[in-house]
Amino acid sequence: MKRLSIIFVLIVLLLTTSCGLQKEGLVVMTDQSYKASVFATNKIGFGSPDGLVWHKGKLYLADEGGEKLEVWSKNPGLKTLVDSSFGCQSPEDLVIDADDNIFFTDDDSGGLWEVDRNGAPRLVAGKDKGLISTEGIALAPDGSLLVGDGEQHEVFRVTRDGAVSEFLGKQFGITKPESMVFDEQGNLYIADNEDDVLYMLDTNHNLHRIIDRRDSFSPETIFYFKGALYITDSRDGKLYIYKPNEELRTIAAFGGQLKNVQGVTVDDQGNIFLSVQTDLKRKVGHILEISKENTEIAAR
Amino acid sequence: MIHAIVFSTLLMSFASRLTDLNNQLSLLINSVAGRSWLFDNVVAFFLDNDLAKAGVIGCCFLAAWYGGKTTEGTNARRKILITTLIASVCVIATTKVLSHTIFLPRPDIQTQKIFRLEGDQLVEMKRMPVRIPLDEASQKDYRALLSGDVQTNDLGSFPSDHAGFFITIALGIWLASRRLGLVALGWTVFVILAAKMISGQHTPVDIAAGSAVAILELSIFQYAAQQRFGKLLDKLTPLTLRYSALSSAIIFAVVFEVSSTLTHVRAFFGLLAAVRRHVLFGIS
Repeated sequence: MKRLSIIFVLIVLLLTTSCGLQKEGLVVMTDQSYKASVFATNKIGFGSPDGLVWHKGKLYLADEGGEKLEVWSKNPGLKTLVDSSFGCQSPEDLVIDADDNIFFTDDDSGGLWEVDRNGAPRLVAGKDKGLISTEGIALAPDGSLLVGDGEQHEVFRVTRDGAVSEFLGKQFGITKPESMVFDEQGNLYIADNEDDVLYMLDTNHNLHRIIDRRDSFSPETIFYFKGALYITDSRDGKLYIYKPNEELRTIAAFGGQLKNVQGVTVDDQGNIFLSVQTDLKRKVGHILEISKENTEIAAR
Repeated sequence: MIHAIVFSTLLMSFASRLTDLNNQLSLLINSVAGRSWLFDNVVAFFLDNDLAKAGVIGCCFLAAWYGGKTTEGTNARRKILITTLIASVCVIATTKVLSHTIFLPRPDIQTQKIFRLEGDQLVEMKRMPVRIPLDEASQKDYRALLSGDVQTNDLGSFPSDHAGFFITIALGIWLASRRLGLVALGWTVFVILAAKMISGQHTPVDIAAGSAVAILELSIFQYAAQQRFGKLLDKLTPLTLRYSALSSAIIFAVVFEVSSTLTHVRAFFGLLAAVRRHVLFGIS
């Protein structure tokens, strides 16, 4: 019996090494015009980021695992803007206004937080004002901020001076407003990754279920760029692109260590950046870049 | 230390050759697909039709269950078959755990552009020029793949759970009855598993790994059944004769599930998970 066990272990070892894929990650490009690469790993200093935003040549990270808000640029690299010593625990999602003020949510400590253009952090509105577990965030055309709350199943409007009011109440039936973004027309897209629905709130304040519990669809983060909505799905490990009046299309599918795709943003050149929470507890994450093949970039 | 380095180098070199051989063999077997509409539909029929695919294995199981010439003979067979069923559940669990740990896409998925994480880099994998069968289901799946519909299950084809499950059952039947076992093993290898490789759903290494898991776990369970749980089975198997109507009903349900590749059991567990989510978390 012992011999049999040893033979089996050796066979499994051999077969496993022959695959060369022990507990690794995969990216399947279902849109052949794109290619994938690792943009950054923990080696540059972040933990396990969630929300991402490219803004004026810099990549801003809501580092949920690292409990920090960070910014990366080629020079000087990664820089911490605010960390848990200020009170935030799990930065979730972020937006940046035209004046370079950064606003972010926190699903553990709740509230809406700001780091202004001079780097000064402040709590705009906290749990005491009813923001218990903040998730998605969007910058409204009037300058106020819309903040989704996953525990209260509502979307709140928060003004710059911290006044909180209900924007979408429980009656709208959004269970977890995980991510939100406006398009150019002023429509608000809302990703609910608990009911697996993508909503659109039009300018007349009518809520539409655009993608409703499709098989293998659970929207995590949404980002609007040049007429297209980029959507990550952490449950199924997918990156989608959605254009109004078109079918939802998969750009890439992710497996293994790279399955848990979270944040998504697009730079000025149209390159897509994704945060992957490989292991949130151990603060392991990746940032992937999904870009057009060289030939197509040259042609643009 | 030197021995370890030499051994690991040799292992890696052998593994590399094995990978090449696996790919070549896989493409060779798959080369018969996509040429004849009739042939591909016949292959697809044996993959998709439960009666044609696993019904034969179920029949062999039932024949082995009832086929003892004496009471002692029947009891001995039933001990083996009960142990085989328990082993098959563990084999499925093992292959599922392994396929969620080792990420190797199905060969037909490897026709696409795939990047693999190697250290801190994503490296493009060599594409496999797999031929897609001409039957309707395969063509539909391939069109879905081209439009970006990749099933999570398709990213972990190693090891083959079909190989693990059916080799376990067939080998168990073989231990109970040589003739019936040969029929079941032959059907498993030359119909079910060959169709899986022809259609580009598994490579020979997937099949070999699934079979290895099956052989090992069945051996362990049969050994344990003889050495440790012999008395328990000695008490259990006469009950199947004493309460033959009830045991026949149970064995019918078991063989029904074996023949349908556990589809209904999986659906039942899915329902239980949904009920749990609904009751505990209020998610509809």
